[in-house]
Amino acid sequence: MFMCKDVVENIMGYIDCELDLQTLKELEKHTGDCPECMAFVNTYKRMLEITGKLKDKPFVTPEIRNRLRILLKSKVKPA
Amino acid sequence: METGFLKKLINIIVTKDNEYISDKSDEELVNLYTEIGDENAFDEIVRRYANKIYGFALRITRNSSDAEEVFQEVFLTLTKKLDTFRGESKFSSWLYRITVNASYMYLRSQKKHESNISLENYYPYDEKGTLMGRVMAKDWSSRPDIIIFSNEALKIIDKSINELPESYRTVFHLRDVEGLLNEEVADILEISIPAVKSRLHRARLFLRDRLSDYFHEWRR
Repeated sequence: MFMCKDVVENIMGYIDCELDLQTLKELEKHTGDCPECMAFVNTYKRMLEITGKLKDKPFVTPEIRNRLRILLKSKVKPA
Repeated sequence: METGFLKKLINIIVTKDNEYISDKSDEELVNLYTEIGDENAFDEIVRRYANKIYGFALRITRNSSDAEEVFQEVFLTLTKKLDTFRGESKFSSWLYRITVNASYMYLRSQKKHESNISLENYYPYDEKGTLMGRVMAKDWSSRPDIIIFSNEALKIIDKSINELPESYRTVFHLRDVEGLLNEEVADILEISIPAVKSRLHRARLFLRDRLSDYFHEWRR
């Protein structure tokens, strides 16, 4: 019998569309009947949307870039 | 005139124009720098990867001055070792691998050790395998985007990622923040694909729980 545990352990395959048809059907049936699992899947998907936003976060300030430029100029001889 | 020389000459002329430089693949930039010492090509590599390398170093070291040390070391290494890039993996993978190695070496030199706790037994269900009473009460998935993607929520997730043990943190960063494939992450970190999947799975479960706690508290 498909349980909440199986939803949790197959969630990555579900998100990545890697589940075999039988497992997919069972997961979707269980999730449709189980509000806890529905909430789990929905919050899991939302979490991935949030973490995807971190990609565009700027880290390197003009000062950091400038310090790198100075360092490279001082240590690297022209080819 | 030799064909190789002509090609190099054409490259020099073409790369005077930065529009052409930005159109070139990473591998072409590497060739331009290693074969004719084109500094524009190196600058373009820095432009493309500075933020990614600094962000990854920061994720491993969790300290901005340590991250900058690693960041500088990576680009210094690059000036010395760019000609050893053989194109066996993607250039970005090769660069991330240099960053991992430089980060570990730096942390070792500073005697900064991190206990690597395992999350292998981290799961949200109870001993009977059910989620009963554990998720729905804290369901935040239908909150408006303005709250979900607020700066504070982004800070919480960023902080929570840094709470992950190092081996999970690096996998999560490369896979879910940088968006690399499982195969690429496995190649960079020199671990198996099942290990990537396993660490990513536990890291995501941990982070989903952290966000649930945050949004649940926030509602109060």
